[in-house]
Amino acid sequence: MSDTTATLDPATIRANEEVTRKPLVLNQRTMGWISNYVSSIVEAKTPLWWYIAMGVTVPMMLMCFGCLAYLISTGVGVWGNNHPVAWAWDITNFVFWIGIGHAGTLISAILFLTRQKWRTSINRAAEAMTLFAVVCAGIYPALHVGRVWMAWFLAPVPNNMAIWPNFRSPLLWDVFAVSTYFTVSVLFWYTGLIPDLATLRDRCTTKLKKFFYGIAALGWRGGNRQWRHYEMAYLVLAGLSTPLVLSVHSVVSFDFATSVVPGWHTTIFPPYFVAGAIFGGFAMVLTLMIPAAWIWPALKDLITPGHVDKMCKIILLTGSIVGYAYLMELFIAWYGANPYERAAFWYRATGVGAREFYWPMMFCNVIVPQLFWFRWCRYNWIAVWILVQFPNAGMWYERFVIIGTTLQHDFLPSAWQLFHPTWVDICTFIGTFGLFMTLFLLFIRFLPMICMFEVKAVLPEADPHYGEGGDREALPELPSGSEEY
Amino acid sequence: MAELENTPDFEETLQREFPRGAGVYEDSGLSKREFLKLMGASMALAGVGLSGCRRPPSFIVPLKEGVEWAIPGKFLYYSTAMPTRLGAIPLIATTVDGRPTKVEGNPIHPSSNGGTDGFAQASVLDLYDPHRKKEITFEGKATDAAALEKFLADTHAAGGNGLAILADGIQSPTRDRLRDEIERALPGVLWAEYEPLGAAETNAATTAAFGPGVRLVPDFARADVILALDSDFLNTSETGVGYAAEFYPRRDPENGKMNRLYVVENHYSNTGGLADHRLRLKASDIGAFAAALAAKIGGSAANLAASLPKSNAQIDDAWLTGVANDLLSARGASLVLVGNQQPAAVQALVLAINETLGNLGSTLNAVQTGRRPAASIADLAGAIKGQHVRTLLVLGGNPAYDAPADLAFSQLLASVPTTLHLSPFEDETSKLCKWSVPAAHYLESWGDVRTYDGTYTAIQPMILPLWNGVSQLEILAQLAGRPKPAGPELVRETFQTISGTSGEESDEAWNEFLRNGFLANSGYAPASVSLNAGGITSAFGGQAAPGGGTEVVFLQSSSVDDGRYANNSWLQETPDFESKLTWDNAALMSYAMAKSLGVKDGDWVEITSGGKSIKIPALIAPGHAEDSISIALGYGRKDVSALMQNVGFDVYPLRTSTGMRFVTGVSVKAADGKRYPLARPQETWSMEGRDLVREGTLETFEHNPEFAQKMGMDSHIPPEFSLYKNPYFQPHELSKEQWAMTVDLNICSGCNACVVACQAENNVPVVGKDQVIRGRDMAWIRIDRYFAAEPGTDRGDRIETQSADPEMLAQLITCQQCENAPCETVCPVNATVHSEDGLNLMAYNRCIGTRYCANNCPWKVRRFNYFDYNKRPIDELYWGPIAKAGMADSLKMQKNPNVTVRMRGVMEKCTFCIQRIEEAKISRLVKAGPTDKNKTPIAPFKVACQQACPADAIVFGDENDVNSRVHKLRKSKRGYRMLEYLNARPRITYLARIKNPNPAMPGAARVGNINSPDHHGHHGEEHAHAGHVPTGALHGAGEAHH
Repeated sequence: MSDTTATLDPATIRANEEVTRKPLVLNQRTMGWISNYVSSIVEAKTPLWWYIAMGVTVPMMLMCFGCLAYLISTGVGVWGNNHPVAWAWDITNFVFWIGIGHAGTLISAILFLTRQKWRTSINRAAEAMTLFAVVCAGIYPALHVGRVWMAWFLAPVPNNMAIWPNFRSPLLWDVFAVSTYFTVSVLFWYTGLIPDLATLRDRCTTKLKKFFYGIAALGWRGGNRQWRHYEMAYLVLAGLSTPLVLSVHSVVSFDFATSVVPGWHTTIFPPYFVAGAIFGGFAMVLTLMIPAAWIWPALKDLITPGHVDKMCKIILLTGSIVGYAYLMELFIAWYGANPYERAAFWYRATGVGAREFYWPMMFCNVIVPQLFWFRWCRYNWIAVWILVQFPNAGMWYERFVIIGTTLQHDFLPSAWQLFHPTWVDICTFIGTFGLFMTLFLLFIRFLPMICMFEVKAVLPEADPHYGEGGDREALPELPSGSEEY
Repeated sequence: MAELENTPDFEETLQREFPRGAGVYEDSGLSKREFLKLMGASMALAGVGLSGCRRPPSFIVPLKEGVEWAIPGKFLYYSTAMPTRLGAIPLIATTVDGRPTKVEGNPIHPSSNGGTDGFAQASVLDLYDPHRKKEITFEGKATDAAALEKFLADTHAAGGNGLAILADGIQSPTRDRLRDEIERALPGVLWAEYEPLGAAETNAATTAAFGPGVRLVPDFARADVILALDSDFLNTSETGVGYAAEFYPRRDPENGKMNRLYVVENHYSNTGGLADHRLRLKASDIGAFAAALAAKIGGSAANLAASLPKSNAQIDDAWLTGVANDLLSARGASLVLVGNQQPAAVQALVLAINETLGNLGSTLNAVQTGRRPAASIADLAGAIKGQHVRTLLVLGGNPAYDAPADLAFSQLLASVPTTLHLSPFEDETSKLCKWSVPAAHYLESWGDVRTYDGTYTAIQPMILPLWNGVSQLEILAQLAGRPKPAGPELVRETFQTISGTSGEESDEAWNEFLRNGFLANSGYAPASVSLNAGGITSAFGGQAAPGGGTEVVFLQSSSVDDGRYANNSWLQETPDFESKLTWDNAALMSYAMAKSLGVKDGDWVEITSGGKSIKIPALIAPGHAEDSISIALGYGRKDVSALMQNVGFDVYPLRTSTGMRFVTGVSVKAADGKRYPLARPQETWSMEGRDLVREGTLETFEHNPEFAQKMGMDSHIPPEFSLYKNPYFQPHELSKEQWAMTVDLNICSGCNACVVACQAENNVPVVGKDQVIRGRDMAWIRIDRYFAAEPGTDRGDRIETQSADPEMLAQLITCQQCENAPCETVCPVNATVHSEDGLNLMAYNRCIGTRYCANNCPWKVRRFNYFDYNKRPIDELYWGPIAKAGMADSLKMQKNPNVTVRMRGVMEKCTFCIQRIEEAKISRLVKAGPTDKNKTPIAPFKVACQQACPADAIVFGDENDVNSRVHKLRKSKRGYRMLEYLNARPRITYLARIKNPNPAMPGAARVGNINSPDHHGHHGEEHAHAGHVPTGALHGAGEAHH
């Protein structure tokens, strides 16, 4: 604490604190430090733990591929799907993964357009997570079909039989929505990577690395003209991505909302699904970023308690929206007086699996996030990490309740059947985590997980008014004990 | 059946000796060359046959020139019949390029309305069963037909002493004639007949009451009040489909006086499900019920009842009085029936009741069959024990497995020096016999049979025996010292005697007989009989009444009959209607009994009777009598074929000569063991208060005929306003024909004939027990079975625990061919689309299998091929590419060539038999020639389920044709469409069930009131009267906007 503070009266201090923005980068890190540190993660010798982690995730990934090969060679029957429950873990996992793939683009695009500068230190990793989640998600709609080798019928390819896909089918909308989302997300992520790839290229010590990073950097020189083009491209892509963030999960929800199945046929689904996706996506971002900050402690200067706090608040908000949606579904089921819909929700809440799925879902997605009202829960990272596992699991429960439980009991009681997953269902799902983690480990090993140039842009030094006192963030304070950095 | 008229002389000698080797089929070793040879040969024989000529020994070459009337790919239809225990089901067999693929009922037969049953439908599969016995063996080693001929000649030469024949119960005049010849030629021969579910007790009763050879044929058309005592008289496998044709029209509330049906039984039978009033009663108390009824009826029945032994079972007096009064008020127009497995004393008493009620000669007509009585299996067992039998020929049947347990027939069989078994499978009896001879299927052999009413009916072969099969007639002819018959000459001789024709006249009559399938006016002669009460008393007066205590009742299995169809996978996978059980039998019992034993579904119980005990899983059956267990016979076959292995549990060990229907005083206790998995495609009981099946009483119907159209959600449908003019909502502008169907719930008993017919017609695969448990059965048509009880106890598991006596309902469900189909909008690849004539089409080769359509189908009728069920053996489904590929060659011969055999990963469902629709359309095009096709009517045709239905509950046709039945029935006041509020506009209309309760009966208020009271008919009326906007867009549904 500096002496000047002590001489001010408490009201002034509070006023100062109110208008002083918390610095987005702690410990007065400089631009050079940021480049050096973030690049050093990629450039350093591969740590032992990385090999150990890959030793776990790669076999998991191979297990997933093995299960998928078995699925394709033998038939969808290797899963537990049956006659009323024609979709089960396959589409549950699809929606689960695609939901996780929402936070990244939301952070990159919507927060970019709304000038939320705190996004800069987490957007790269969150976007990478998005892509890998969409890769995992994409497996299911592509391979859950009975004849995978005919899946190209989904594409609107002109053919001599003049048969087009059915443009009335939400599943086809899904194909377009997810593939567009994936494409735009890849472009967005890659565009954002170019300046940093150039940084890595310029720091390379071996020719081979230089060659590959050089190719990937697409000849970036950092010239004024390039920056102008870059910023325009990034803005355009952000503009394109923003509606996609909202549309993808809305379209996914149409798979259910446009059907006639009681429990699916509701208008609340699009906003409810989007909120749920952001909810689950942010939980997954925190699941990955907090351990990263533990592994590389200096990252805590970039991913600060303030970041975690904001993400927890988003989880609290979206979790409350999800909770509202759950309760509204129940209310409408009662108020709507449609006996089929009433029965569907009554079954969810009291039937087989209610204790295993429905009430855990309520607990994980509605009750647990309410703890983020407490400041302590948002600032204690161990608590945060534990608490966000509930939304992670809860969102899977939610999708299973919507898909599996609902299909078990629809119109005709004669057709009712329970669903039981097989070992292939379970191993495939576990395997997708292997795939996801493998891709993420490769990402943090070979690409800068923090967007260096953007973080530099939010440093006080990057502010043209830095030092003039116009902006209150221009008076950073050294926290005690910071000398050791 | 226009082709029927074109049927040429069918006199070829299909039975002619076939060169060895060419006809041998192995499970999968049949080469294409061999197949062509065989097909070519049967085509050639069918084509070039000239009557009376002996053809030169064999030319097994493919056809060089086409046979004049045979168009490749066009079906040919021949009349034949499938024998049943007491008669036959007259059939028309469909043959494709020389192989029979499907059977249908013979609609012109006097004892048929064109319906069939599941067994007849599945019999085609038995023909091609690759597990069939393929060779004649002697002491386990393959031998040839010549050796068998020599054996039979030697047996003939050895004379009748020490010779015994045990035959099945087929009612074949030619066989009866050969029996006479053998008994004349070989005096001393013992001729015994045995059917495990035969009519021995009935014969004993009628013999005592009226004398030998008398049979009583009910006339349901004249019966106003019917009481069935442990009698499943709608079961077509006993008596053929003749009963059905008369009974069902009397259940039509819109057409004539509706009959009233009372059923007393221990478990729910199909007949019981249709009852107006049903009483749960132990099968062993049926005698007590009959005695109490006789006492109420009075007259000679009461006197007889007094002279017969009595048990002291308690009978519900109010119920009994109600029935008795109703029967008495319908004297001469009432009918009391009793199951033919009930003790003869009970059956005789029921005869007396009918006599007292004046029903004899009115609703119950006596005929004289003229059949001589045969020795029983007990007589034969006695002879074997007395060392009087040296040679025993077992023709048909499987006594080592199904004979009464007290006879210990297996040991006796093994003690006879020379034995022969003629049977389709290398079964329990074959294994114990020296000679094992493959039996020819009825579609492979010449024969004749009398239907239940006695009409003389032809059995014609459709194909040469696939695996050296020999018919009973061939064996008996040789035993009688005749040469081995080469063709139909044996049957022809019988025909000449029965028809009284000869020479050229006979040729014509014979051809007509084969063409029509029967000889007109050849039914049994009416017999004038009078009840001999003294005879009954002397025959049965000394018998003890059944004891008390827990009983086990032996049921005919709806899947394997008495065990004879145990290798038929179609039937094994067809769910039993009441229990919905496939691939197994179980101990059916009431909830209260299961609770007192401490068991749940699939838990083991041990049943001990007469020192023998069996372990079997329990299954709770609603509406089951207390202290009573019902178990289907015919399961638990061991070491016969891989398919039968570990399927169900054998209860024959508990069944004795004196307890063929039930044994009493058994001890039952829960047994240890892991819960046994029971495969049931439908595990639910209740409709959950949903108005799926709609029911009312005759009174309701008379006051408010449209009650069924305003139930539940249907009274809340808002008017539909849409700017989009959906072309399929004006389908009549799209195509001249608009296909539609109606299902009359009032007469559907759940007999499963349609289910198996669909399987045969549409190449529906079998998936096996494991897959049924996983919910992946492939049936395109299913019969939902619900139990309905008082409101408040009819939801969830409350119906199980609180309702002992619910009503049983059947509802046939198949693709509803919705005009506004939910499945069509969601398919991303346009694989399921609508046709202009109103069909919901499925393009298999466009389908990629997203299964979205199945999710969005409210009826859940879409079936996804999760594995390659048509290609891979059901025990290797999970092996993927390393599983054996392809089905047995013989099974391929059964497939309908006009229906795709679907691969894995593809959705499939009912198509309204589009292959039949298209065939009819093509025929019209041919007929129309250059004229406008729309001016040429489509020749009437039926879809497979409709054609099989013995009740005529399914009506299919062109809704646009104002003269069609379907058009009229769709407008029936009873008609309603399921889930109307979804606006899917299904093309299937259901006709509501109408009950005809007797107000004087206990519980009458509940009958016909299964639909939940909060959404009942009058509720809808209120809305209608409330005067809101009437809807123009919806026809037939709710009339008001809520």
